[in-house]
Amino acid sequence: MKRRAALKNVAVAFGGLVSLPAWAENWNERSVSLSSSYFSPKESVLLAEVAETIIPVTDTPGAKELGVHNFIQKIVADCMDKKNQEFFSSGLAAVDTAAQKKFTKSFASCDTGQRISVLNEMEASPDQKGFYSMVKGLTIRGYLTSEYVMTNLTHYEMVPGHYYGCVPVSPKK
Amino acid sequence: MANIAIDAIKEVTYDAIVIGSGISGGWAAKELTGKGLRTLVLERGRDVKHIVDYPTTVTNPWEFEHRGQLPLEIREQNPIVSKCYAFYEGTTHFFVKDAEHPYVQEKPFDWIRGYQVGGKSLLWARQTQRWSDFDFEGPARDGFAVDWPIRYADLAPWYSYVEKFAGISGNKDGLATLPDGEFLPPHEWNCVESYFQKQVAGHYKDRHVIMGRAAHITKPQPIHFQQGRAQCQHRTICERGCPYGGYFSSNASTIPWAAKTGKMTLRPNSVVHSIIYDEKKGKAVGVRVVDATTHKMMEFYARIIFVNAAALNTNLVLLNSTSSRFPNGLGNDSGVLGKYVAFHNYRARISGEYDGMLESTTDGRRPNSPYIPRFRNVYKQEMDFLRGYAAGFSAGRMSHTNQDGIGASLKANLVKPVLDGWYVGSHMMGETIPKESNFVALDSNLKDPFGIPQLRISVGYDDNDDKMVKDYIEQMTEMFTIAGFKNIKATDSKQAAGLDIHEMGGVRMGKDPKTSILNKWNQMHACKNVFVTDGACMTSTSTQNPSLTYMAMTARAADYAVKEMKKGTL
Repeated sequence: MKRRAALKNVAVAFGGLVSLPAWAENWNERSVSLSSSYFSPKESVLLAEVAETIIPVTDTPGAKELGVHNFIQKIVADCMDKKNQEFFSSGLAAVDTAAQKKFTKSFASCDTGQRISVLNEMEASPDQKGFYSMVKGLTIRGYLTSEYVMTNLTHYEMVPGHYYGCVPVSPKK
Repeated sequence: MANIAIDAIKEVTYDAIVIGSGISGGWAAKELTGKGLRTLVLERGRDVKHIVDYPTTVTNPWEFEHRGQLPLEIREQNPIVSKCYAFYEGTTHFFVKDAEHPYVQEKPFDWIRGYQVGGKSLLWARQTQRWSDFDFEGPARDGFAVDWPIRYADLAPWYSYVEKFAGISGNKDGLATLPDGEFLPPHEWNCVESYFQKQVAGHYKDRHVIMGRAAHITKPQPIHFQQGRAQCQHRTICERGCPYGGYFSSNASTIPWAAKTGKMTLRPNSVVHSIIYDEKKGKAVGVRVVDATTHKMMEFYARIIFVNAAALNTNLVLLNSTSSRFPNGLGNDSGVLGKYVAFHNYRARISGEYDGMLESTTDGRRPNSPYIPRFRNVYKQEMDFLRGYAAGFSAGRMSHTNQDGIGASLKANLVKPVLDGWYVGSHMMGETIPKESNFVALDSNLKDPFGIPQLRISVGYDDNDDKMVKDYIEQMTEMFTIAGFKNIKATDSKQAAGLDIHEMGGVRMGKDPKTSILNKWNQMHACKNVFVTDGACMTSTSTQNPSLTYMAMTARAADYAVKEMKKGTL
């Protein structure tokens, strides 16, 4: 549900007496766009491919289409301290280094199996598993908090309207 | 010329001035305007209008730039407010940033503040329990602080009065320790909470688990519709402001109600510097204000003044209101102004798991939880510490996802949550004992950005608090064990005083002007036209969340003040 529509429902709940505030006018799902360019275009592409390898497109959109790499970039740029930023950047660089070493091509040029093998090796490496778990954790978080997933797959309810204390566990849960 | 001067003074003269627009200031505004007084409400922060100034109230999780997480820069610049549980990407605009109003911590004290119309009433946790005589009689019985000048009977009708208007949900539990109120229907229990309630009732005669009484409209009454408020929709993102007015805040309730009378002048961006005392008249005549935008000093005048700046800022304003008559702060003949500050001890929490009732779960969200009223030292002193603690309690079920692997299988698993068993948890709310050594004072050199002295805060825990933490952990562990909960873990966060956001006292009520500042009407002993009805007035803290008591005291004091004005004594 778009914010303006949500607000309209609020207004309806009041009997339509509430006029919508000015700040509701420009809202849409694209209003939160990427302003930061923390990573270089090359790094950005690499990060998108790493995220897409972790959560690929299937019959539903994957990480790249949902802009998960942009979310990760935001978090790295704005929420991490310098030490973690450097740790993340060098980890990202190591992905390409590993792909070059193993398959003599960039990570982005590798096929899915090759990419997974690169990331699995990182996960198994004492020096690199820290980065891998960081990028995987951020990818999962970015995916699960994306509009697509929250509206279509996990069905986020902003306004449940109730609390039932004791209901049977439904089979789908 | 003389006439122009008189007109100019008339323009800034009101019947009453209320300093602050938070939970108690809003009530003062409503009551005083409702009784016909032209009332100036001074708020140091910006205006926040109901709904239109709640910019994140319908923001979806994915619409936050960092999906809720605070950027590093904000955390680094605000080490104090960043500790508050309610301070996140969706609420930063309702909290005072550390640099906006610096203070001196003689002991660690996390001073969490909300400077805007509505104050912290936008952000509060909405728990509303009445005090009983076990609370009011505490200091006299146990020999600390001074005797409260009021008892439950003085406040009971005013509790009813404010509850009906504010909208308080709860169950009539019939407990002597926690008197029943004017309740809208209570929130629902879940299975494990009900189970725990029965287990506790079966093992202890004096321990009760009840549903929290909370300022949520569970069934709107005509008085709530008249305020433009509607039923709580269980969003549980209250701290962003509620577009339904489902919970009580000054913004949704008292301030617009006061505005409707046509008698209220609301002046945001007005930082009160001090109260003006007229030596000849022998009373307060107005307040000095620094305009937050222009930094110009202005004066406003009135016959009575209600000080509702929030506990420690009320202390600050009074300490900074010096005159020949009151060189140590307004009304401070006794020398106790700023002293006997206390708070609530929230240090301990406990968690566990329950492996039964797996066929049941919950649906929806609840902006409230069960509550365990104080059971220690109630009828007599029985422990090696004074007073006691109340506790919050809740149970629920979370789910997890299998995050192993990579690629399509991981992706599929991520949206297939697996329901966990029940978790249970509790936190303590302990009474702290007001002491002379827990005080606030003005710093003699340091000033805030408005040129007003900074507050030195010297407030901390003592041995009594440590003993209470230990007892809470022991008793809750026992109760959890009896209920068959597993994996019980208790922690003492050692969080600094202040993070409970229940700071109280410094301008305490009492019978004797030699040992207190306010009388039984929240009226200054030594300056009769000044009333203090926020947390600063508290003689002791007991264990209940205090806001409801401030509301009731404010309505009672306003009623008294207006009657006295009509009699001509004020």
